[in-house]
Amino acid sequence: MPTDSRRIAGPESSTNPYSFCTEKPRHDLLKNGKRQDGRKENNLRPIFLKAGVVSQARGSAYIEQNETKVICAVYGPREVVRKEDFSMKGLLTCEFKFAIFSCRERRQHQQDIEEKDYSVQLLEALEPAVCLDKFPKAQMNIYVTVLQNDGSALAAAITCASVAMADSGIEMYDLVAGCAVRVAGKNLLMDPCNQEEYKPEDETGLTNSGSVTVGLMPSLQQVSAISSKGEIEFELVKQAVAKCVDVCTQLYPVLQQALVKSVSERQNEEG
Amino acid sequence: MVDVLLSDAEKTFIIHGIQDNLRDDGRGCEDYRHMEIETDVVSSTSGSAKVRLANTEILVGVKAELGEPSSGKPDKGRLEFFVDCSANATPEFEGRGGEDLALEISNMLTRAYDCPKCLDLGKLCVIKGQQCWVLYVDILLLECGGNLFDAASVAVKAALYNTCIPTVTVSQDEGHVDIELSDDPFDVQHLDVTSAPCIVTLSKIGHSHVVDASQKEEACCLARLMMGVTEKGTVTALKKEGSGSLDPSSVEEMMETGKRVGQALNKSLMEVLCLEEQKGKKKEKTGFLR
Amino acid sequence: MYSSSKPAETAKISVRAARPLEYYRKFLEKDVRPDGRELGEFRPTILNIGCISTAEGSALVKLGNTTVMCGIKAEFATPKTEEPSNGYLVPNVELSPLCSPMFRPGPPGEQAQVLSHFVNEVLNQSCCVRKEDLCIKTGKLVWVLYCDILCLDYDGNAPDACILSLLAALKSTMLPAVKYNEETEKPETDSVKTEPLHILSNPVSSTFAIFDDHLLFVDPTVQEESLATGTVTIVTNDNDLCLVQKPGGSPVTADQMNTCFERAFSRSKEVLRLIDEILHSIER
Repeated sequence: MPTDSRRIAGPESSTNPYSFCTEKPRHDLLKNGKRQDGRKENNLRPIFLKAGVVSQARGSAYIEQNETKVICAVYGPREVVRKEDFSMKGLLTCEFKFAIFSCRERRQHQQDIEEKDYSVQLLEALEPAVCLDKFPKAQMNIYVTVLQNDGSALAAAITCASVAMADSGIEMYDLVAGCAVRVAGKNLLMDPCNQEEYKPEDETGLTNSGSVTVGLMPSLQQVSAISSKGEIEFELVKQAVAKCVDVCTQLYPVLQQALVKSVSERQNEEG
Repeated sequence: MVDVLLSDAEKTFIIHGIQDNLRDDGRGCEDYRHMEIETDVVSSTSGSAKVRLANTEILVGVKAELGEPSSGKPDKGRLEFFVDCSANATPEFEGRGGEDLALEISNMLTRAYDCPKCLDLGKLCVIKGQQCWVLYVDILLLECGGNLFDAASVAVKAALYNTCIPTVTVSQDEGHVDIELSDDPFDVQHLDVTSAPCIVTLSKIGHSHVVDASQKEEACCLARLMMGVTEKGTVTALKKEGSGSLDPSSVEEMMETGKRVGQALNKSLMEVLCLEEQKGKKKEKTGFLR
Repeated sequence: MYSSSKPAETAKISVRAARPLEYYRKFLEKDVRPDGRELGEFRPTILNIGCISTAEGSALVKLGNTTVMCGIKAEFATPKTEEPSNGYLVPNVELSPLCSPMFRPGPPGEQAQVLSHFVNEVLNQSCCVRKEDLCIKTGKLVWVLYCDILCLDYDGNAPDACILSLLAALKSTMLPAVKYNEETEKPETDSVKTEPLHILSNPVSSTFAIFDDHLLFVDPTVQEESLATGTVTIVTNDNDLCLVQKPGGSPVTADQMNTCFERAFSRSKEVLRLIDEILHSIER
């Protein structure tokens, strides 16, 4: 790695202590119809969602799904700096970052490929929901940081970013709710936590093993983001998408509530 | 994506045509354009292929090198994709212009190939946790004529089919490990690519969807669904792309089409590749002369 | 955004936006700040320790609106040959574009670099963690503690928030128990047992802003920072002085410095009491 004079440098290389664990715990995804944390297949984790958390931002939101914690801030509309980016439609940019301490493995300072991939997916999930023609020649910047990743980070980020966007007062067609599902054999586990998430390196020997994430605009009933990992049979993909769509629709009131709360809080402050 | 400029009238013309299952080049909604595949085009690589899909031209080279396996998968070889958008293809790619597109293509391919059953990477392991074969798959975009993802995935599959990995023997004495490379140039291993995925891109245009969109059709399309489909019809990767959104029911329809088309594409690709191999050295080489 | 219809309210807002300096002077004549604080008063400090379970130690600090999170990740490394029994402490402060419109994406800016060096200096000078304590096997294996401090909301006075979050995070750090296997020359990590880190002293930072070349007030907000003609940062280490930073700006008299020192030591007591309280409440 090239040395970076702008940061305090540590030793040249270091390794994760947990890769030297003498016994590696093995987990069954489902035991007697129950998951490790006691949930049933269809149960989601409790969601805490709050809008208006960053005082300096135009709009912001924070979401917690048990141990998955994501914060998002929206800035703009700002002037477009580069001439090539000029357009009669507003420009949306998105930066997705895992905090360095957010995962079991230490993340790096620079955006890695996974984070760049998530940035693009998040952007494409939000673009259809924002009235971009309302702010021509300008850009809106969305910054998302995952403070702790305990699975379904992209889904949580989609929900969080759409609420932050709405909190900023930018005109939108609809909110976007995100939901993830883990496919394992014939089972569909909603809102997987980190241990349940699909990792290509552990071989379960199942024909169907993967995960699907969906972003839905609930009142328009339009899918704005869809992505999957791992090899899954066709019928199961269909089922997984349908289930995610269902769950996203159920999440809608949670998003609305968070926004209503932040608006009334703001009114109290001013009045 | 690489843009062409279209007037509103031209767009309407294309959209209406597609509604009647008639596209501006005379195809139906589920038809691919004419595709030419040639393998073994670059002799300095371990495997290579060139695909021409109408005006889209893609060259893929696979280089096999010995390297370290990743810590998560100590008993597997590695597969790395790198996409280069040459400025020859379009002036937009000059400088860093093609970087975003290149990253998107390589991410999609990585995701599509990132499942244990697509490609047997266990065969590429030399010494567990220490040495393995790393396949560097370099994808070069030579010309853009729409539907880059599908063409790239076909070219990658063809190049992997063509890849020869030298046989190595590992000998161990007193904790000292020796790796010996076979001298015989014909003593090589081939990869089994039968269950490797192809990417099928479905573009939503108007109320219908089409496969293998041309550049003009891409300009009319706001939302695309990309799928990695194997010969068995399983899905290895899904992605919505573009600034539009999709109805849940049309997502389902598009996936149905994608599966059907993907299976057919995989099948005919394997047939073509087998035919190419049978011809062997006797085949006529076109290369880049057309 | 401001829909208030009262004329007095509107006037107040416009003076504040158009002539912030006058606005502040009017308040300071009465020895009070626009947000109702006295000159020597810190903003309400909220502390949450151990909020990130993927990190070995973590803490969230809120100083008014300013929010800072510190997470500590421990990893194995080989020690330097010149210091075979010393571990590493690697602090880095990140002022991400998320926390304020002032910061841009990309590599750390000037302010973030200055803060990182400040935190590093405090860690080295105060010796709150002995680097020898981080040794697992002399010359072979030591701990490296990556202390990453992430700003989530920048409303001024980052140094104080950073040092506080760092200290709280260090105090909550639990390192997994490790045995060094002499035969295989490889460490063996226990997946269940953990050991706390020894903290030898408690550095606490207090920042003062200089206003109109003579007035000093503590814990400036981002607006106060932009109006200030200089700052002084004092880091105490229990009953000793650890570090004083005064990067240029208006000069300060010896008397004024003395009042600052007094306030810094009393702040140190307040903060340490707060940390103890929170740590006790977690243990229970």
